[in-house]
Amino acid sequence: MHRLIEATGWLFAILILLLVTPAQALMGHEQLMQLLRVVDDRQQNNGDYRALIYLEQKEKDKTDVVREGIVYRRSADQRLMILFSKPKSEQGKGYLRVDKNLWSYDPNVGKWERRTERERIAGTDSRRADFDESRLSEEYEPSDDGDDKLGAYNVHRLTLKVKPDVDVAFPIVKLWIDTATSNVLKRQEFALSGRLMRTLYYPRWQKQFSESKNGDFWYPPEIRIYDEVEKANSTIVLIKTVDLRPLETNIFTKAWFESKSR
Amino acid sequence: MLRLLLIATRSLAQHNRRTLLLGGAIAVVTALLVVLLELSTGLRATILRSATTLMTGHVNVAGFYKVTAGQSAPVVTQYPKVVEVIRKSVPELDYLIVRGRGWAKVISESGAVQVGIGGVDIKKEPGLHKVLRIREGSIDDLAEPNTILLFDEQAKKLEVKVGDLLTISAPTPRGTSNTLDVRVVAIARDLGLLSTFNVFIPMVSLQALYQLRNDTTGALMLYLKNIKAVPVVHARLREALQGAGYALMEDNPKAFWMKFDSVNREDWTGQKLDITNWDEEVSFVTYTVTALDMLTGVLTFVLLIIIAIGVMNTMWISIRERTREIGTLRAIGMQRRRVLWMFVLEALVLGLASTSVGALLGVAICGLLNAAHIAVPIGVQLFLMNDTLILLADPAKIAGAVLFITFCTTAIALFPSFLAARLKPISAMHYIG
Repeated sequence: MHRLIEATGWLFAILILLLVTPAQALMGHEQLMQLLRVVDDRQQNNGDYRALIYLEQKEKDKTDVVREGIVYRRSADQRLMILFSKPKSEQGKGYLRVDKNLWSYDPNVGKWERRTERERIAGTDSRRADFDESRLSEEYEPSDDGDDKLGAYNVHRLTLKVKPDVDVAFPIVKLWIDTATSNVLKRQEFALSGRLMRTLYYPRWQKQFSESKNGDFWYPPEIRIYDEVEKANSTIVLIKTVDLRPLETNIFTKAWFESKSR
Repeated sequence: MLRLLLIATRSLAQHNRRTLLLGGAIAVVTALLVVLLELSTGLRATILRSATTLMTGHVNVAGFYKVTAGQSAPVVTQYPKVVEVIRKSVPELDYLIVRGRGWAKVISESGAVQVGIGGVDIKKEPGLHKVLRIREGSIDDLAEPNTILLFDEQAKKLEVKVGDLLTISAPTPRGTSNTLDVRVVAIARDLGLLSTFNVFIPMVSLQALYQLRNDTTGALMLYLKNIKAVPVVHARLREALQGAGYALMEDNPKAFWMKFDSVNREDWTGQKLDITNWDEEVSFVTYTVTALDMLTGVLTFVLLIIIAIGVMNTMWISIRERTREIGTLRAIGMQRRRVLWMFVLEALVLGLASTSVGALLGVAICGLLNAAHIAVPIGVQLFLMNDTLILLADPAKIAGAVLFITFCTTAIALFPSFLAARLKPISAMHYIG
């Protein structure tokens, strides 16, 4: 009898555990998704965006190259355009995204070439996604790695795995998110093989009031990108003079780009 | 006619110094032309041998698969079905090799190189054993997964030796980054330009790197019993594959890796097959042969002009010296046509004898150069596709060179011979030279 009571007690305990555990995991997942949505939302403008950027590329046995350019974005139809103005050899070159196609333009040959969205930008360690609006919650499934410290900051660590049928450059991403501000401070990106490919640091975040969003828009004025495969290579992205006023209606066209390329 | 030939030969023998000088010049030009022709033939043969082993068959059935309009991969999906069509429609087929293709970055601790990757099943690639000269390691170790064969220059750049580890980094056809850690199992001697951007890894490793299925490959390389059948097989394959329902790319005589930009610009998605010949796949290196052929042509043209001036001048001298003889011959009844033939034959004999000697001299020089195994500098190796100079005799080309120069020297002699034939006997006999 005693054994029967004991067994029933265990069974009851296991049943409660089974009932409670999924609910907690579900909540955890939902909380994590909510966190990702917050990260995305803080970087979304719901309008137009124009910023002056500098790309400093460091490669082994090569002299450093600094590129200057302008990034144009429009949230409504996910348009993106990058137009380089310096150095002289890169002047007029750039990228234009129309729908799901990323086009690259070189005024020297006067040709548009279709590129993958996941390609390196101007041969640096940066990718299109580094200049685009954050869409982590649409592209990845998060899992919790717990709380941690990153220097002086308290951070929450997440591991993101790409959702099925979504194409991204890096299928696994680890994030270090500032618990106080929900800004991403560090990001590591992994290849399919599990090898670490890039580490990105976001040392600072700035906010600017967006009329189109009717709220604060956050952006990192500096992104430090380290190539973890070719260890000597790195790229620093500086984002300056962000302008959130509406852009001309028809600027996201090849014709407009070519006119500015000349 | 025999008598005219005798007169022409005697005339040449009588003026031996002049004949030797002019004949010598013609012989030297012929020898030079033969050497250049043998160099061109040797270069073409070396390229054919190296290229048809390293990166192309005589005819290739390859193509691109596009997941999205802007993302192409050089693959043939469900290739066993394509092989069936090939085997049915190409009776000239000697053997067929299935070769994976990729374009990736190979990274070591100290450097990185961007290379074309060949995925091979080394047990089914006897050609590689014959062409590659292994300096270190064993080519048979490529049978193990996650291994790589490099060439000397690449190994030097990456600062690696056999046993060292490398990482290959490439995007999959869906654009997702992937890497593969491989061990260097063999380092082969350089094979010119072709070896600077080619490495080999096992097919299974290439499939793992690009996340390809077992029935997906890069190219089906067809080796024919007779290489001359290439154009016919090419045309027939197009029809056969189109008939079997495959979408084909338009003929574009370029190497596959030069087509990415144009393929990415096009709007289609899915699989399209591309049929190419060996000379299209190596068109970026055969320009060296074309350049050499052009150089040979220009050089021959300049030297022929010099020879033409020499021959014409000699004929003028000969005619002037023999004006009275011409007058006498005409007076005793020799026809104008026979006078013309007499001088033309003189030029023909001179040309034929000199070019024959020149051709023999050229062949001898080439034989000596081949025997000497002359090592060429790295810069020249890039174009020669070999580390030593190889010259290859093509009897048909040599005979062509001999006949061409002989024809030129004879044709040049026509004009002065014609003028000699038109001399009036009375004025010719009274000519005081």
